[in-house]
Amino acid sequence: MRHGRYPFILSFLVLPVGLYAWLVILPFAQAFQISLTDWSGSSNSFEYIGFDNYVNLFKDERFVLPALRHTGIILLVMPLVTIALGLFFAFMLNLGGRVRRGRIEGVRGARFHKIVFFFPQVLSVAIVGILWKQVYAPENFGGLITGALKAVGLPAPANGFLADTRFVLAAVIGVLVWSAVGFYLVYFSSAMASIPRDLYEAAIIDGAGRGPMFFKITLPLLWDSVQTAWIYLSIIALDVFVLVYLMTPEQGGPDASSEVVGGVIWKYAFKHGEQAFASAIGVVLFFAALSLAVVSLRVGRRERIEF
Amino acid sequence: MRQSTADSIFTRRRLFGATAAGLAATSLGACATSGGDDDAEEVKVGENAENPFDVDPSAPLDVVIFDGGFGNEYAQAHQALYKESFPESDIEFLATQAIAETQQPRFAEGKPCDVLDNSGAQQIPMDSLVGDGELAELTPLLDAPSYDDPAVTVRDTLRDGVLGMGTFNGEVYALNYVFSAWTVWYDAKLFRDQGWTAPTTWEEMLALCPTIQAAGIAPWTYAGQHPVYLYDLFLMLAGRHGGVDVVKAIDHLEPDAWRHESVVKAAEALAGLYSEGYILEGTPGIDHIQSQTAFNERKAAFLPCGSWLPNEQAAIAPADFEYMPMGVPYFEGSVQPGLISAGGEEPFVVPKNATNLAGAYEYLRIMLSKEGAQIFGDTVQAATVVKGVELENPAAQATDQLVANPEDLFQPRFRFWYTKMNEEVRPALGALLSGESTADEFIERMQTVADETAADDSIDKFTHED
Repeated sequence: MRHGRYPFILSFLVLPVGLYAWLVILPFAQAFQISLTDWSGSSNSFEYIGFDNYVNLFKDERFVLPALRHTGIILLVMPLVTIALGLFFAFMLNLGGRVRRGRIEGVRGARFHKIVFFFPQVLSVAIVGILWKQVYAPENFGGLITGALKAVGLPAPANGFLADTRFVLAAVIGVLVWSAVGFYLVYFSSAMASIPRDLYEAAIIDGAGRGPMFFKITLPLLWDSVQTAWIYLSIIALDVFVLVYLMTPEQGGPDASSEVVGGVIWKYAFKHGEQAFASAIGVVLFFAALSLAVVSLRVGRRERIEF
Repeated sequence: MRQSTADSIFTRRRLFGATAAGLAATSLGACATSGGDDDAEEVKVGENAENPFDVDPSAPLDVVIFDGGFGNEYAQAHQALYKESFPESDIEFLATQAIAETQQPRFAEGKPCDVLDNSGAQQIPMDSLVGDGELAELTPLLDAPSYDDPAVTVRDTLRDGVLGMGTFNGEVYALNYVFSAWTVWYDAKLFRDQGWTAPTTWEEMLALCPTIQAAGIAPWTYAGQHPVYLYDLFLMLAGRHGGVDVVKAIDHLEPDAWRHESVVKAAEALAGLYSEGYILEGTPGIDHIQSQTAFNERKAAFLPCGSWLPNEQAAIAPADFEYMPMGVPYFEGSVQPGLISAGGEEPFVVPKNATNLAGAYEYLRIMLSKEGAQIFGDTVQAATVVKGVELENPAAQATDQLVANPEDLFQPRFRFWYTKMNEEVRPALGALLSGESTADEFIERMQTVADETAADDSIDKFTHED
């Protein structure tokens, strides 16, 4: 029997590995190749120009540098806020309620809240974009937030949040957090459910409050989940494009104040006819994403607690 | 008919991962490196006036139409005409908004379609297609006998100045089929009811603004999220004051062209609209649909837009709304007050590597026939570049009067010639009219990018014919 095992396993692997090589690895390799040319994308002729695209990339004040800056900001802020909110809500839903007969419970209606928070996750990102575009609109044109701010007598940007260079990036990050937090709330909730209750009950007997309970018990025991969430969210952050495309003026405006790397790749590839330059940005982003994943896995490595 | 899925650009999977376009680029790359680079044949004009390009009657034809404001009904009617001439030919037809996404890979593969309406927000940049030598030159089409009268060439059936937009350094690479003009729109009924006269000069317009405001209406609105709608307004304001050479100098990237007195005056005037509060509040944050809706609801008196607007709004605007165009109000003392940005738009191109090159030329010749042009006029109520198409609506007739003098027709081109300047002028205009930048800052910003473009040897330079 034994000698037949490897062909058997291989026969399962051939198709997926082949497809992966053909559709993922090969294109990546070719992106690198094309980034060394001057290919426009609409011709079958090109010349090799060495690393010029990479050099010019870091001189592009109009698109690439603002995009790198904004993607960097999103990468720092979005996962942090989402995870913080997700953990907070999950903690409140599971352990935020009263202690009844020595058992700790979530806030009232926890189940209902979980479902409501999860709603954005089932909406298509296109719907989310269009919805929030209206929410952020100028007061004159039915903007929800601007209208509410005016109604209570607070100042609001006259042209809405998306047309204001000061607010547009924050507005995009806000939508990202809004649409992601529900999923991570549920994710952290189920992770919390697997933490034995007696740990908390012991802590209560010792007189610990909600704060120490969260930081001393919940967070350390959830570390693996937080780390996974961090990597997923970082990938989403690097991947931000659709919301910027749908919501912001001129798909990255006003005046480049919401350009992100994904959007700039698209602009160069399909609007400017500079596929080679777009590929170069893609390659840079690929390595950025790769090192990000490696670093966060290394740095975040901790001793696993068995329970 | 294959239908486009506009949604496909929104699917997250396709955009997933940092390298979305990198992937796209590379999968094309496979073709780019493998595609043959055959020497394309050329189309010659033969003796037979019925079939001057010697079309193979059985050869299939592959037509791609931008499915935008004009729809694709007219294209199907044109194809029916083609089928009448060549019943054995199969026509493959795609109507889509995603021109670049669907057609760029085919160019890269060396297997493009035969006729391409390269228009819309996703058009393949013309400068890149021309620069790469991917397009067939259209002189044979223009020199061929026209469809209706063999004694007249196709060129002579066209309106004046309509080839300019598709001409790159003297060679015609695109047939811009639709004749349109950039004007300022107002509601004739509103003006009549209120007893206002449509202003001809900028000063009259400024004098009228307080009156308009007193009626609870904002004088101006525009598509703030797409400042490109201000491009022709601004350049015509400057060009009318200083003459066409002022705007031509800008197109030609001449030193200090932007610092010309007339250009500065126009920038100051537009900035003044904002500082005087003559722009509908919230305008910088709205898109073209919202601005046009506000205009239809008579929340604003003036809206800069192209001549397609009344047709587009026909079903949406209130029944008593009377769309009426006027030229940009000119400054008193203007040198060329009739100057107007008008000419061909909606570029139809024939790829050089098209399989049925002769058929593509013939298809364009049919589009330019009297019948073909009238079909377009009837279905979408817009003028084509062909002379003598009858349009019934008053707005189209008024536009026709604004563009009556061929000397005054001029299309500013730098936005189409130089992608980099296009990317600068749009946000710069947006900032100018929303009070984010001053006229001086605007002028210096544009002069800087013009100088950079002029100094960059890697950018192909273009000039106007005359």
